[in-house]
Amino acid sequence: MLAAQLAATRTLARRACSARATQSLLHTCARTSLRQTSRPVHPTLFQATRSLAARRGYADAAGSKYSRAKPHLNIGTIGHVDHGKTTLTAAITKVLAEEGGAKFTDYAEIDKAPEEKARGITINSTHIEYESSNRHYGHIDCPGHADYIKNMITGAAQMDGAIVVVSATDGQMPQTREHLLLARQVGVKKLVVFINKVDMISDTEMLELVDMEMRDLLSTYNFDGENTPIIMGSALAALEGRDEEIGKKKVLELVQACDEWLDVPPRDLDKPFLLPIEDVFSIAGRGTVVTGRAERGTINKGDEVEIIGLGTKIKTTLTGIESFHKELDRGEAGDNMGALLRGIKREDVQRGQVLVATGSIKAVKTFQAQIYVLTKDEGGRYTPFMASYQPQIFIRTADISTSLQWPEGTADAEDKMVMPGDNVEMVCKLFHDVAAEPGTRFTIREGGKTRSWNTRRASSCGGHASSSC
Amino acid sequence: MFAHAAGRRAACLAAARSYSTPAKPSIKLVAELRKRTEVSIAKAHQALAATNNDVPAALAWLEKDLQVSGLAKAAKVQDRDASQGLVGTAVLARGPASADPADTAGNGLRAALVELNCETDFVARGELFATLLADIAHTAAFLTDPAPASAGLIQPLQTEALLEAPLLSAADPYGAAGKASQTIAGAMRDLTAKVGEKISLRRAAAVAREPPVPLATRALRLAHYLHGSVGRPTQGRIAGLVVTSLSTPPAPSPSLADLLSRPEFSADLDKLERALARQVVGFETKSIRSAEKDEAALYQQSFMMYPGANGENVEAVLRRWAKERGMVAEAEGETHGGLEVLEFAKWTVGVYN
Ligand SMILES: Nc1nc2c(ncn2[C@@H]2O[C@H](COP(=O)(O)OP(=O)(O)OP(=O)(O)O)[C@@H](O)[C@H]2O)c(=O)[nH]1
Ligand SMILES: [Mg+2]
Repeated sequence: MLAAQLAATRTLARRACSARATQSLLHTCARTSLRQTSRPVHPTLFQATRSLAARRGYADAAGSKYSRAKPHLNIGTIGHVDHGKTTLTAAITKVLAEEGGAKFTDYAEIDKAPEEKARGITINSTHIEYESSNRHYGHIDCPGHADYIKNMITGAAQMDGAIVVVSATDGQMPQTREHLLLARQVGVKKLVVFINKVDMISDTEMLELVDMEMRDLLSTYNFDGENTPIIMGSALAALEGRDEEIGKKKVLELVQACDEWLDVPPRDLDKPFLLPIEDVFSIAGRGTVVTGRAERGTINKGDEVEIIGLGTKIKTTLTGIESFHKELDRGEAGDNMGALLRGIKREDVQRGQVLVATGSIKAVKTFQAQIYVLTKDEGGRYTPFMASYQPQIFIRTADISTSLQWPEGTADAEDKMVMPGDNVEMVCKLFHDVAAEPGTRFTIREGGKTRSWNTRRASSCGGHASSSC
Repeated sequence: MFAHAAGRRAACLAAARSYSTPAKPSIKLVAELRKRTEVSIAKAHQALAATNNDVPAALAWLEKDLQVSGLAKAAKVQDRDASQGLVGTAVLARGPASADPADTAGNGLRAALVELNCETDFVARGELFATLLADIAHTAAFLTDPAPASAGLIQPLQTEALLEAPLLSAADPYGAAGKASQTIAGAMRDLTAKVGEKISLRRAAAVAREPPVPLATRALRLAHYLHGSVGRPTQGRIAGLVVTSLSTPPAPSPSLADLLSRPEFSADLDKLERALARQVVGFETKSIRSAEKDEAALYQQSFMMYPGANGENVEAVLRRWAKERGMVAEAEGETHGGLEVLEFAKWTVGVYN
């Protein structure tokens, strides 16, 4: 009976929070093979997981020959029009293809759409993947600021790191600062710089100037200007397979710099334990069990845990873990589990709360978030709204009324509207508290109606962890 | 592998300093020129080489070269697609408003709407682009001749003619900084040379109108709303401009001049007009009135952008608003006075019809 419950609630949860679910599947797959040897678990669960994984879009197409066991990182190229982003991307796949770490994707294939070819301008973000000896990279090349922001918010393509491409002939451009601001805004902490087109420069001193200016600018925008790797080379030479010294070698150096300098985001397994509560049961003679799919971390029988959200903050001890009628000593991210809690009454706990490693996350009622408003064509609303709009917010299994306000200090706040297609930064004032932290994704819908508009990412969770309303 | 970066840089800096023979431009001077002009490294290098490392002479060389290289660069990017950018407004006079003494420059109307395009939104977010757009909008608003009362209010401008107009600075309208005058086209080419993208003036329109007479009972007013602003509130992705007419019936009703001198009336009017501009921006609006049922006719739309609308449509709100303020009187079966939307413009970057 517990199994059936789990399956049903899981689909619900996935529907409410699809961005999140898709994202974590990557890790689920990676672990599957590991776990089969170490722990016997109900086989149907894994079949379900696998078929879901197979439905993942792009990664699968180029995919299966790469090992998912390597840590994965999404990397974006940003830089001025014509400085060589697409050429560099093609060059990376070419050079790594020779090492067996990629499928060569030619320039023309990256700039796919016919009108893009005509203009030589990259319009849609392109998904390319390749791998070095110790990492797997997804590569994103977007044409503009708004595209990157939308990708980040909707979870379509989160950039974990970026390669800034600067042509040696021009040096940084006035808009390079916008590129760096973008990187900051989408949460990129470290960058690698590729100074391109050095085949056109005879005076090496000038390259040092590009280097120096770039380091200054990086520091101005709070990146580590001193230590950021700056590689100088020619993407075109690498792509055309000539001048190995500035071509292939430099591309390999660039990849190595990415390997060494850019940080892989922590795996879900390595984060503190969190289980979104989907359902609560009381089992005669044993006590209260909460069920759900562990979002991150690991937990052992006997560990101290906390239940937070919806006005509750209770400390307790995990006295048992059960997955599909099997008792386990340990649960981890991706597991559908039931957690037996010491001394908790059924009515103390409810769906929407989370069971977490004590002190690892706070419940907040107010946080600031970046929000992308779906357009009518994307299934969103078609009319604008203004501050104090009151939709429902869906965070994990929680469904809470909220009001949206402009951040303090916004000019003309009482006057400003939000239209479909906008990326905005707003303050969510929830009617009940919920566990959230920077990076938590959520969906917003019009009260009652389905899928009016969507999703964002908490960019900061200032706010009062507090009692119920 | 990066540990020696600092040391390496120091070494090359030192090398650079000791390296400045006249024939070969020093990187220190190139860097200086870059700070002062935003030219590319290659250009700065060329300028110093041509002027024997004399910075003032190199600056003059660059100034001259900008015209040539701007032209060359503009020609090179000419076939590219410039579909990003911003719409900008300049409102120099928006009709009588005693609530704001700074607004008494004219009781008439003077404003402009301009769309300037570039290739990526990165450039559109930048300060150089915003400044140029503000200056072009200011120039268009400033130079447009008042139209006769019989003509339409929001007049499209010929962009070809506007391109050849001298660019006025919005920040420094009287030219106190004494910069050499330049055409709008020239300033756009300079920007192309600096940011490397195609810059094009897509469209421009202006409102220029003397105040109607008699002033005491009639007035034209203008309101605008910009959506999707990045930096300046006068620029954005969508602009709405709404011209309204206000009139009051003969005594004993209060005169318009009388009403406008009441601060709360002026404040309410501002709110209403701004809500109209917002309504135009926020909802698909193609006309003001329509004989048939038409959601794209402003007057038929539920006035969602006006906080006190209570579900009424725009027409009903305007009527009620005027009535509540004593602006309307019935005489011999006819209504006198009221508030009416005369014209509007709604421009969205990249959307033309
Ligand atoms: N000489 C030289 N030319 C290069 C090099 N890398 C790229 N190019 C050329 O620079 C031009 C622009 O390269 P792209 O890769 O299309 O630049 P991009 O940054 O993707 O441009 P957009 O997508 O339009 O923003 C092309 O003509 C390339 O052949 C290089 O290392 N040396
Ligand atoms: Mg490209």
